Amino acid sequence: MPDDRRPVYHRVLAPVRTPPSTTPALEARSLGIASSTSTGGVSLQAVDWTVDTGELWVVAGAQGAGKTALLETLAGLIPAAAGEVRVFGRRVDASGDDDAGLRETRRRLGLVFDGSGRLFSALSVAENILLPWCYHQNRSHDEALREFEPLIGCLQLESILSRKPATLSRSWSRRVALARSLVLEPSLLLLDNPLAGLDAVHLRWWRGFLAEALAGHPLLGGQPLTIVTTADAVRPYVGLDPRFALVASGHWRILSNIEAVLAATGEEGFRDLTEPRP
Amino acid sequence: MEATPPPLRNAGAGEDSDGGLRWLGALLGEWRSLTRLGAFILITLATAARRHRDNSEVMRPQVMGEIHRCGVRLLPIISFLGVILGVVFVGQTVSLMEQFGAGNFTGTFIVTVFLREMVPMIAGLLVLARVGTASVVELGTARALGEVEALEALGIDPIHYLVVPRVIGFAVAVVSLSAYLILIALGSGYLFAYARGLKASPIEFFTQIASAMSALDFPLWVLKTLLFGALTGWVICYQGLARPMTLEEVGPATTRTVAVCVVGCLMIDALFITVYLLL
Repeated sequence: MPDDRRPVYHRVLAPVRTPPSTTPALEARSLGIASSTSTGGVSLQAVDWTVDTGELWVVAGAQGAGKTALLETLAGLIPAAAGEVRVFGRRVDASGDDDAGLRETRRRLGLVFDGSGRLFSALSVAENILLPWCYHQNRSHDEALREFEPLIGCLQLESILSRKPATLSRSWSRRVALARSLVLEPSLLLLDNPLAGLDAVHLRWWRGFLAEALAGHPLLGGQPLTIVTTADAVRPYVGLDPRFALVASGHWRILSNIEAVLAATGEEGFRDLTEPRP
Repeated sequence: MEATPPPLRNAGAGEDSDGGLRWLGALLGEWRSLTRLGAFILITLATAARRHRDNSEVMRPQVMGEIHRCGVRLLPIISFLGVILGVVFVGQTVSLMEQFGAGNFTGTFIVTVFLREMVPMIAGLLVLARVGTASVVELGTARALGEVEALEALGIDPIHYLVVPRVIGFAVAVVSLSAYLILIALGSGYLFAYARGLKASPIEFFTQIASAMSALDFPLWVLKTLLFGALTGWVICYQGLARPMTLEEVGPATTRTVAVCVVGCLMIDALFITVYLLL
């Protein structure tokens, strides 16, 4: 047992960037999302969804609609209430008997949590960013720092590397959380409401980053990233040409473009999504 | 007339069985949490055994950091405690027994009561109070703020990264601090007794103590202190991490940890007394 488990981490490093082009990045079939507030409850039903590689999807919905639970289910952190999820053709909601396989699949997707990004409060910013890479590659912190100097520079984090997460503003914490998920070079990036509450400068940076990542950022291996992001307002995404999915009152709807979203604004539950931010 | 007594009796019986049921329920709850803690301990052991060579660049500093936090940083307070214990316990015992003419039994008394029983308990409680409580708060807060899910999302095994180093740190710390406490306390105790008129030389004093120990004393003592430390580490991580937690629950989890650790260490103590009696 130990011998067939240990090499998994080394084995997955090479093929991470080259998923078979025919496999969708993400596939959900009749997926039910368990409610985070009530045990046994379901916050979202019948999610049928295919995300192809290189696409940007915006999952829009009001607060409490189940967007975070959806992302955590896609990442395999909470079990699905019904149906199944496949990430690059592999189930992430498998039971505990295939721990190593589950971790391998998880490594191919990067999840950036909402708010301050759930950084590890006991570690410095630099340790937060580099820990996943050091852990999986078994390298020292200094080596990692040299390796990821360009990425850290690109995310403009050089000046805050030695600070503790508690001393950072939410916008910067979120960018650190993004860096932390990028060091593992994920093929699929799940962002939980990344543009919420940002000032104009941060918003411009994030929009620029999303556009570059979709086109294939040189620091991320040059291949187009597949990105799924949640939002409580869709306007900041106009111009990035995303595809939209709306969640409201437990239901899931796929809309092809921003016009369809704007057309849906008359309906209850969707109205606030297209309002300009206060 | 006939109708009234039965309800009274029934009510009484009902109360009794309710009380009994509640008691049984509480016992069952305790048993369940004990089995869960047992499962948690087994999972930790399996993880440590399976992955003891993995990710060493991250795990080695993590383990060393825990040993430093639980052990090295407590050296000043354990030295202080050792001097006090040496004076009030060892020194007084030695000089009193000398006065009563029972000097021959000093070694046996100190080995049985002080070395085997008091020192492991004191070192364990000190580590629990100084580091353990802070650890529960740290882990519980990390759990409540979702940092553990963040670890999982990054493919890092929380048992491997958070629990294993702590259990190792606590176990190593309690063993070494106990040994250190014994040396300091015996030294200062001898000095106190010498000042009070003890005739024996240091060599005679330490020979007397050493000859009161049996061959099995050393491995049993290491095992006992090791278990004290490891159990403390396990209970801390179990209480801090094993269940979903909110920030308000961190405080109660901390006090529960202290209670469970003390009871657990006393139970280990009782277990070892039977072993010592059989020897």
